[in-house]
Amino acid sequence: MADDRVLLSAAGISKSFFGNPVLRDVSIALAAGRIHALLGENGAGKSTLINILSGALPPNGGTITIAGQTLPALRPATARGFGIAVVQQELSLMPHLSIAENIALGAAPKRFGLIDYGAVKERVTAIARETGITEPLDLPVNKLALGRRQMVEIAKALFRNPKVLILDEPTSSLSAHDVAILVGLIRKLKGQGLAILYISHRLNEILDFCDHVTVLKDGALTADRPLAGMDAQGLVRLMVGRDPNDLFPPFRSSARDELVLALQNFRTAAVSGIDLKLRRGEILGLGGLVGQGQEDFLLGLYGAAEAAADRFEAGDAKAPFRDVMAANRAGLAYVPADRKKEGLLLPHSIDLNLLLPSLARSSARMFRKRDAERALTESLAAQLSIRGDRKRPVQALSGGNQQKVALAKWLPLSPSILLLNDPTRGVDVATKREIYLALQAMAAEGKAVLLLSSDTPELVHLCDRVAVFHKGRIAALLDHAAASEEAIVGAALGVNHGVAA
Amino acid sequence: MSLYWAIQWRRNEGLGALFLVLAGFLILYAILFPGILSIGGAGRFVQNWFPMALVAVAQAVIMLTGGIDLSIGAMVGLGSVVAATSMGGAFGIAGGTAATLGMGAAVGAAVGVIVSIGRYPAIIVTLATSFIIGGAALLILPRPGGAIPPELSEFLAGDHPTAVLMLILLILGWKLYQATPLGMGLVAGGDNPIGAYRSGVATRTARIFAYALSGLLTACAGLYVAAQTGSGDPVIGQPFTLAAIAAAVLGGVSFLGGQGTLRGALAGSLLMSVLINVMFFMNLPPVAQYVVQGLIIVITVALPQLKRMLRRIA
Repeated sequence: MADDRVLLSAAGISKSFFGNPVLRDVSIALAAGRIHALLGENGAGKSTLINILSGALPPNGGTITIAGQTLPALRPATARGFGIAVVQQELSLMPHLSIAENIALGAAPKRFGLIDYGAVKERVTAIARETGITEPLDLPVNKLALGRRQMVEIAKALFRNPKVLILDEPTSSLSAHDVAILVGLIRKLKGQGLAILYISHRLNEILDFCDHVTVLKDGALTADRPLAGMDAQGLVRLMVGRDPNDLFPPFRSSARDELVLALQNFRTAAVSGIDLKLRRGEILGLGGLVGQGQEDFLLGLYGAAEAAADRFEAGDAKAPFRDVMAANRAGLAYVPADRKKEGLLLPHSIDLNLLLPSLARSSARMFRKRDAERALTESLAAQLSIRGDRKRPVQALSGGNQQKVALAKWLPLSPSILLLNDPTRGVDVATKREIYLALQAMAAEGKAVLLLSSDTPELVHLCDRVAVFHKGRIAALLDHAAASEEAIVGAALGVNHGVAA
Repeated sequence: MSLYWAIQWRRNEGLGALFLVLAGFLILYAILFPGILSIGGAGRFVQNWFPMALVAVAQAVIMLTGGIDLSIGAMVGLGSVVAATSMGGAFGIAGGTAATLGMGAAVGAAVGVIVSIGRYPAIIVTLATSFIIGGAALLILPRPGGAIPPELSEFLAGDHPTAVLMLILLILGWKLYQATPLGMGLVAGGDNPIGAYRSGVATRTARIFAYALSGLLTACAGLYVAAQTGSGDPVIGQPFTLAAIAAAVLGGVSFLGGQGTLRGALAGSLLMSVLINVMFFMNLPPVAQYVVQGLIIVITVALPQLKRMLRRIA
């Protein structure tokens, strides 16, 4: 990469969180006058890479080269000093400050120690014109719609006259009108010689105006090449495909004909028009990019978020549950994604955590029966192979074993429908396999499983059917045979893959 | 500067109801006690309100950072004690005033350092320091005593418009402060600390400065109270802790930080002051004001929720 137009480059970057590798030996070079796309599935390591390039995170290994200096890490202030600006996803705005103040914040021109509001107004007005911000500049940002705030974020980055501009999914909340303004602006900045890193899930945008692409998969580089000659299918192929490595048990379907759940036009604040039938013993996967409504769908089913439906049948229930207790009584159990905050009482023992959902049932007898409890926790621990002293606090366990506890505690209630929210996130490989086996065993017993997962191979290898969410609707409902990684990711990205969309 | 004033003007939004209620109470007060309409009466009224105004602003500054200060009452006590014991020294009134204000700023800055560098919750830190400060005041003066030179008492709390002038100075100083990077950092750092830090705002410095300013204003209130009574009293400040919170909350300063104005805090404290006076003239026992102030805080905090419920019913 001896190109003298390279403004910012990183070589051999690696980073892990709590022993989990997130980036492995990744290199990237951002050149002046080039729009560089960064692609990858959820959790591929894109955000981590941006954070390292902008100094928000130090890497564990590798070097960053900027302006002829090679450094082990950047700090936010150094990165800013070198002219690196990041457009975050609506993270960096102050809701109660005005548009002008937000744009100039931290970089406002000063006179006699005071902020020079005259100069601020002049420069912000010019940038607002470029970015299509027509609202009064003294308006507080919290009065703006989400998409308009995103334009303020972009204006804020431009205010600093950056040399390197990193845009993290800038169009996800923009209207078509604003996208057009942004694309025009990006092309113009490219003409001015900025190096631009563009992160997006919208493949048509990337194919439309990016020059170069870097693709990450599971924290490793799978492509670093010019975009010329690539198509959407080719990009999707670079993002997916992994050696299953005997991680997944062979697929077997336990689905029976009997329905446990039937929904027609089920809707919550974030999803609408959901028609779905779930059968006994079926594992139904919920896929899609993060934040397309999958989680809200689960919470709506579980009575934890407001929901309505034209038709709702779950056992005896004919309407969506009004609260979690009602859902529990009807045989639903939910295992949250954030097990540390929502799923478990960390300082308390494994035993107590395993008992919690059952305690409410046995309390009719007023006093706890230690013997029965011990027998129960022993059998639960055996079922999910939770090993070791069960008097230990749950926080002493690894993430994977914590997840097993969060799952096992519901079994005594013998739920008929299990709602699982990304149960293997942050879980080591060996434990993943144990969880998969446990899921198959539960399905074989006749429990229906709704498996929300951000890990596409899981959906491919475990599920009878996969519902792919896109913008609050089911974009594709794929049978096991049709649910390839490419089909799922394609549907999640809105690429028509010849499958019913 | 027009952009600055436009931004400042926008911040009146949501304060209209408060200003209306305040105007209504002031008119009622003037009807009940027409004495307030004379120059002397108005002067005394402002003097009566002034320490409350100072502590409300001091509390508002801390709440803007996203914290809360439970040591305001103790600091008023310590300020009055330091003022009443230092004025007789070699440096006289000037030395005593400097000692009092310097003590307030220094203690405030120290608390600010603990809160912002140690990242401890302000509510815990200021609860602890309230006992340290209160204890220090009692160690210096176990019972009311010391003295404020009569000429200072006369200047501050006699028949002069000193309090009015100081209020005007406070407002001008605040406008200047809000136009500095530190002032913008105060609001930005309370509004979205991570975003402000990533934008290159010196959030830590802004926060420490805010605590120092708050300590200074509170000690100033202590000095003023001492001047009113002519001596120092280590426990005279106690009612101010609750009153300052109630006044700031009433003035639209949010517990969540980043939202609030000086004009709001001043209006809130004025309303509180009028309320206390009215309750006094209605012959209610003095402790009834605690009940009222507590209720004001709870109701104001619950107000957004109540509004939402009403909207859902409507």
